[in-house]
Amino acid sequence: MVVTASYKDKDGKVVENKQERHYHPQATNCRDTKMKYGAQWKVANIRDTAIQPHQPKKETIEFELPDGVRSADVTVDLFYEAVNPDNKYPIHSIKKTVSLDK
Amino acid sequence: MRIILLLLITAFVIMPLSTVGAEKAKTIDELAKMYDSSQCKSCHAEIYAQWEKSHHARPLMGVKGGLMLTPLALKKGEKGATAFSEDDPKKMKISNFPCFKCHLPQAVTSAEDSVAAELAEALLAKDSAKVGKLQITCMVCHNEKALIHKRELGAPEKGVIYGNKDVASHAGGKIKKSAIMKDSVFCGQCHGLGPNLEFDQAFQCANLYGSYLHNYVSGGGTKSCQDCHMQKGDHLIAPNFNDDKQTSELLAKALTLDVETLGYEWLRKAATYVPKVVVNTKIVSSAGHRIPDG
Ligand code: HEC
Ligand code: HEC
Ligand code: HEC
Ligand code: HEC
Ligand code: HEC
Repeated sequence: MVVTASYKDKDGKVVENKQERHYHPQATNCRDTKMKYGAQWKVANIRDTAIQPHQPKKETIEFELPDGVRSADVTVDLFYEAVNPDNKYPIHSIKKTVSLDK
Repeated sequence: MRIILLLLITAFVIMPLSTVGAEKAKTIDELAKMYDSSQCKSCHAEIYAQWEKSHHARPLMGVKGGLMLTPLALKKGEKGATAFSEDDPKKMKISNFPCFKCHLPQAVTSAEDSVAAELAEALLAKDSAKVGKLQITCMVCHNEKALIHKRELGAPEKGVIYGNKDVASHAGGKIKKSAIMKDSVFCGQCHGLGPNLEFDQAFQCANLYGSYLHNYVSGGGTKSCQDCHMQKGDHLIAPNFNDDKQTSELLAKALTLDVETLGYEWLRKAATYVPKVVVNTKIVSSAGHRIPDG
């Protein structure tokens, strides 16, 4: 999942801030601490951030804006990657405009 | 006329019976022939077409044609080679491909080591046509994997098709009842509990069945894999990662994404306001196991 907050700075230039969350089981070979890809290298999961049944995955992601910037466009992109990061399947893309003015 | 009809029917009955012989296969072609299920196509055209598009029909090159067993076939010491590799692909044995446990179970029960050597050479030669002959066919599921109570019920009988009920008169060959075709454990045989610890070199691939048991059933889930993945007998058993559009659509249905935002000025300390955007996200899954697995 990639969350992007973009806004225009003082000079009118578009600035993009991105934060990512990765949801998947993570395994090592149990001989070192490096995560491995590929069944031939993996031995056991050491961490599992995948999306589980009965367990909604909730995040609170914060962006700080520079002084004077009063609004930002937020985009949340959820996609699936199979086998390698270039093989992407888009799932959802939600856009919102957030204003600091009442 | 009557004689011709009779002959035709016997031909259909005998074909599957002769497919699973006692001898082990020495070549890829022999192994493919042993479990060949093309005769099912004439009567089960729809199921056959679904299966042909499924991952089960291409278990050694599942995603976008990738020959994922290649690292095992590489020469020992070569970059990318694995603990299962040998210094010569000709030395590869069935036991050098522990992946067969789930990706090609018929190789474990019914193939000579020469099949592993032939596969290793085909992988190195990028011979997709040859590798593609090795499939989880109708008979792998409906015979080889259909019985798990072998001490009580014996091994699957050669040539018999196992289904949800006995059908003595089935035109494609005798059907016997399997107790597990509708149960998750049937799929669990290959969809992994966790590390495969029975090998001299432990490793892990799919562990989705473990997630089903320990995250879904434990939370009160009652649906089987078949309930969700094989409605009306659908043998595509989606997702099919070679169909990008369909996979995206299925995932969008399975995972809801809820986004809420807030803009405000946070008071860090007296008279020091920090403009902030807060994004709250919530993903809820309707699947019966973790997504993604592996
Ligand atoms: C000559 C036509 C024909 C061929 C060939 C054929 N079938 Fe069938 N099959 C049928 C018909 C018709 C039915 C429905 C029969 C019934 O339910 O009484 C059926 C039903 C079945 C069932 C469902 C039984 C149940 O549990 O309700 C299975 C499983 C099955 N076939 C598997 C196969 C497989 C696997 C092959 C190939 C090895 C095959 N069939 C080849 C005609 C055929
Ligand atoms: C316990 C059964 C099991 C074993 C053993 C196993 N796999 Fe898998 N593998 C699966 C299943 C089931 C899938 C698909 C579902 C999933 O990933 O959850 C899969 C998927 C894969 C994929 C991703 C799909 C693709 O086609 O690219 C690769 C790569 C893979 N396996 C390689 C291997 C290799 C290499 C080995 C042997 C070192 C191996 N597997 C051993 C069951 C197994
Ligand atoms: C003989 C072992 C075996 C059995 C039994 C089996 N599968 Fe699979 N399945 C596999 C393998 C291996 C793959 C991955 C093939 C590849 O893409 O490389 C797979 C792929 C899949 C996929 C595609 C998604 C993916 O990640 O590749 C789904 C969905 C699936 N199986 C569901 C099921 C269900 C549901 C059942 C029970 C009705 C079942 N399988 C029974 C071995 C099996
Ligand atoms: C991955 C394992 C797998 C493969 C491969 C497979 N089947 Fe099945 N098949 C099943 C399971 C499991 C069921 C029972 C599903 C249920 O009742 O919910 C089934 C059910 C059936 C049925 C009964 C359908 C119904 O609606 O009652 C037929 C007919 C059948 N299979 C034929 C075939 C044919 C023909 C092939 C090859 C093209 C094939 N199967 C390949 C696992 C498999
Ligand atoms: C409550 C419904 C449900 C149950 C039960 C269920 N699944 Fe799934 N499964 C899904 C959904 C939804 C997806 C997401 C994609 C889709 O819709 O096909 C999925 C995806 C998968 C995938 C792809 C995993 C990946 O890494 O992306 C595999 C493989 C799979 N299921 C196999 C199984 C097996 C095997 C079982 C039984 C042990 C099972 N499923 C039980 C609903 C279910």
